Amino acid sequence: MIFYVIRRLLAAVPTLLAVLTLVFVIVRIVPGDPAVAILGDRATPEAVVAMQHRLGLDRPIWAQYVTFMGHSLQGDFGTSMVTNRPILVDVAAVLPHTLQLTIAAMIIGTLMGVPAGVFAALYRNRWIDVLVRMVSLVGLSFPVFVSGVFALLLFALHWPLFPVIGNANLADPLDVLDKLVLPATTLGIIMAAYITRVTRSSMLQVLSEDYMRTARAKGVPWRRVVWRHGLRNAGLPVVTVVGLYVGILIGNSVLTEIVFNRPGLGKIIVSALDQRDYTMLQGLMTVYCFLIVVVNLLTDLTYGLIDPRVKQA
Amino acid sequence: MNYLRSLPAAALLAGVLASAPAALAAPKTTLVVGMAAQDVGKLDPQQAVSTIDRAVAVWMFNGLVRFAPGSVNPASIEPDLATKWEFSPDKTEWTFHLRQGVKWHGDYGEFTADDVVFSLAKAADPKRSAFSGDFAAIKSVEKIDPYTVKITLKHAMPSLLGLLTNYSGGFIVSKKAVEAMGDKYNSHPIGTGPFAFASVTPNQSLELVANEAYFRGAPMIKNISYRFLPSGASRDLAFRSGELDLEYGNSDQTWIDRMKKVPHAIVDVFEPAEEALLHLNQSQKPLDDIRVRQAIAYAVNRPELLAWQGKDATREPKSVIPGGNLGYVDAGLLPHDLAKAKALLAEAGFPNGLTLKVIHTQLPGMLAQMQVVQAQLKKAGINLDLQIVEHATFHQMIRKDLSPIVFYSAARFPVADLYLTQFYDSHSIINQPGGITNFSHCKVADKEIEAARTEPNDAKQVALWQEAQKKIVADVCAVPLIETLQDWVRTDKLDYGYDLKGSLSLGPLITEKTHFK
Amino acid sequence: MTPFIKRMATNPTTSVGVLLCILIVLAAVLAPYISPFDPLDQHIIDKLKPPSATYWLGTDTYGRDVLSRVLWGARVSLVVSVASISGALVVGGTIGMVSGYIGGRADLYIMQVMDVLLSFPSLILGLIVVALLGPEMVNLIFAIGLTAVAPFARIARSPVLSMKERAFVEAGRALGFSHIRVLFVHILPNILSEVLVMATLWMATAVRTEASLSFIGLGVKPPIATWGGMMRDGFDAILDAPWLSIFPGIAILLLVLGLNMVGDGLRDATDPKLSG
Repeated sequence: MIFYVIRRLLAAVPTLLAVLTLVFVIVRIVPGDPAVAILGDRATPEAVVAMQHRLGLDRPIWAQYVTFMGHSLQGDFGTSMVTNRPILVDVAAVLPHTLQLTIAAMIIGTLMGVPAGVFAALYRNRWIDVLVRMVSLVGLSFPVFVSGVFALLLFALHWPLFPVIGNANLADPLDVLDKLVLPATTLGIIMAAYITRVTRSSMLQVLSEDYMRTARAKGVPWRRVVWRHGLRNAGLPVVTVVGLYVGILIGNSVLTEIVFNRPGLGKIIVSALDQRDYTMLQGLMTVYCFLIVVVNLLTDLTYGLIDPRVKQA
Repeated sequence: MNYLRSLPAAALLAGVLASAPAALAAPKTTLVVGMAAQDVGKLDPQQAVSTIDRAVAVWMFNGLVRFAPGSVNPASIEPDLATKWEFSPDKTEWTFHLRQGVKWHGDYGEFTADDVVFSLAKAADPKRSAFSGDFAAIKSVEKIDPYTVKITLKHAMPSLLGLLTNYSGGFIVSKKAVEAMGDKYNSHPIGTGPFAFASVTPNQSLELVANEAYFRGAPMIKNISYRFLPSGASRDLAFRSGELDLEYGNSDQTWIDRMKKVPHAIVDVFEPAEEALLHLNQSQKPLDDIRVRQAIAYAVNRPELLAWQGKDATREPKSVIPGGNLGYVDAGLLPHDLAKAKALLAEAGFPNGLTLKVIHTQLPGMLAQMQVVQAQLKKAGINLDLQIVEHATFHQMIRKDLSPIVFYSAARFPVADLYLTQFYDSHSIINQPGGITNFSHCKVADKEIEAARTEPNDAKQVALWQEAQKKIVADVCAVPLIETLQDWVRTDKLDYGYDLKGSLSLGPLITEKTHFK
Repeated sequence: MTPFIKRMATNPTTSVGVLLCILIVLAAVLAPYISPFDPLDQHIIDKLKPPSATYWLGTDTYGRDVLSRVLWGARVSLVVSVASISGALVVGGTIGMVSGYIGGRADLYIMQVMDVLLSFPSLILGLIVVALLGPEMVNLIFAIGLTAVAPFARIARSPVLSMKERAFVEAGRALGFSHIRVLFVHILPNILSEVLVMATLWMATAVRTEASLSFIGLGVKPPIATWGGMMRDGFDAILDAPWLSIFPGIAILLLVLGLNMVGDGLRDATDPKLSG
């Protein structure tokens, strides 16, 4: 198991390198020199040269690349060009909020989506199936800021059940929970819609397999057949979707954070973009990629748990 | 909103589920403030230019003198870090006697004359101060002894005390701390004020703690949490639910009317009025043609703008400096006249109108006003192509001559000299040494502004200022739009400890006497 | 092809989806004729008026008619989504087909680049591209298109891989047809239906992304009416005028839902075994 994780982590290194290179290139191909972005278009040529020197932009590209990669791999992303605060400090301060939101949304999405999908498959074409499919289609059509604003209108204004500021005190679990419910549910419902659909279709496939019928013929209660054997076999595609969707969740957290006034990575990236804070952007993109790599790894490990054959592969 | 909130059952449910703690026996000592901001910028008070930074800097710092809390009347100026002062008959030599035993926050020792000499030198240094232009008239600042400083001026000026108040460049910073921290002072300020910097959480809040050793006595409020909440709606809701005690408002009648109806809310509308103007950059085509500038002035519809924003927090401007300033005069602004605007444009060679790329802030209040102006100008064929950037970036970019029209809203020390000097004196033209906020490259009134500065006769001085305003209006350096007063809302439990009529930091002062009832 | 269309027509989900899409396209096309007001005209006296006989969906902060802005806003959503997805389809599809057809090491590298692109959250990618290039319609189309290139490359590649070995392709090659001819004449028609399903579903995503970027403040610039931008204004005035966010929100939802329904219907028609 440990060897598997290490091997997978090592396998992720090339991806991370590729992403870091991409980040380096993106920041340098966009129109405008960071020095000019900091100083403004009509800054005197001398001032621009001085700023380029300060930022190390006057060095050969390959030397910049080597330095950037070296620093990034050591986890040193430098300091923000705007506030002079270390980037990792800013990221560390808000990361828990983004992780809490993402994980809570995943849990809600799975807890709602898997049973709904299984029931829809079991009662294929009956009213429960039609209803589940309609609801999930509407659910996945909601842009998260639309459902977020609607949720605010309903559950924070019409019925003032939840706070409107998601700025939780991390040391107080009750406070964290109170401020997590609305945004996590908003995100989770959309995820549930995706999971429902995948669970349903992969369950439909499994239900038609021979071993299911065999198990039933052998006298195993149908309920147990479905939930134990069926779900286990239908699980792989579901896990894939959950893993894939985490990327979308992290992206969508930008919107959730704006609507619910939550601190988080999304808010930082928006303000870094506003202020053309290039070092901050490089750091944030690297953090995002790292998160995605970790999620992909976790997804693969979950495969192993569901289906022991994967581990040997 | 009413039709969404009329269910009695919902009210009942809310009462049961509300997470707010029950009434406490002792009054609370933590003040939670909601500010329209993504984050703080620079907390060095001499580099703080946005309302976000300035409103909070004043809680941590002192000047040599200060406006009496709650006032912006120069007659109310009273001792702060200086206890008394004298000046020579020609008003060019000033001696200040300093308060003794004042401690800097943290381990930075006692406040002395060295800090004053250092601060005023820093305030005048364009590399380390955003207000260096204001201090051009100061020839020297000398330490006489640890508790006495002498300031020598190049010439008499109408508002030296104004410069030295607890506002913009007049704040006294700690020599030892600035020298030890360098750039970091911006994110970790050390002052002498009633509240000291504790921590900042990016994109969330700035936390302050009471300075128990404050020279006017230990503050009654012990902690301040200055929360960054860019969305006005979220701030309002948070205020209504009791999550905030004090909130930055947006000077809109709809907001004022709504907040006045919130139980236990007090809306404070106070001075100074910030005047919003369109500064027209006459060093660039096509605004170098006065006919184009006049066309813009005729196209602007001030009464409509006032009607849009509402009566409680606005005033119609009559000049290129805010009303209420000493020396203000009705300078004869061009009225709204679309036909004339179009005729002038055609005459200037733009019969089919023209398009201008204008850099503007995403700050909601200013963006909204600009969109009304944009629609007004469009009727005359003048299209504003708005390049919308974050507020700090906006401030940075417009100071580099990047926008042909600059929408700028500001209030200054209420004596005509400052507004005129900073916005219309050619020495203040941006993007040059000594540049401040003359975005228009205006230079028609230099003579009057300069003469007024040293004019000993009060009546003549005022006459010169009035002449300057008329010349600037005639040259259409800037087009006045609207004057907006400040408005904040607080819970009626919060007692400022003074009567809030005005505040030059644009936010209420939180003093040692401010407390919860 | 006839049973395909028949299956689609009899599927109620698809019918409703097609109807929704047609309605919204009509609104966009006819906006200049059916809008009661100019979407940019400010009626300052009537600002923030709730829905009434004059202003059916109310007015916004500047007294602009919400109904007219919703109708005109459909144009931005449709133009951006159609243009960006067509672009992504052509570029991504070509990359995928060519890469799969060539195979070997080049294919491996190209697909690795696509994987990196795919692994990045598309909203974040769009956000960065638009913010750096500036909020113009062309840049929006480019950014949203970019986020959809990788999925199209993937979907176009896999059928090419399996089809490459099939008899009729090898026959074509044996007859001396050029690679390009084989690709476009023999392989393209066979994967077209799958790509179309994908395009419809991704258009729904594109509408959502455009609206999201506008909501963040990176959409087409004001004063042009966009649904996401209207939501943004509405969010600022959420306490005084909920109709400002409700109506554009519903408009976005209906268009995305319509596209998803059509996409679902198309997929069921091409691949009946997954349907109900």
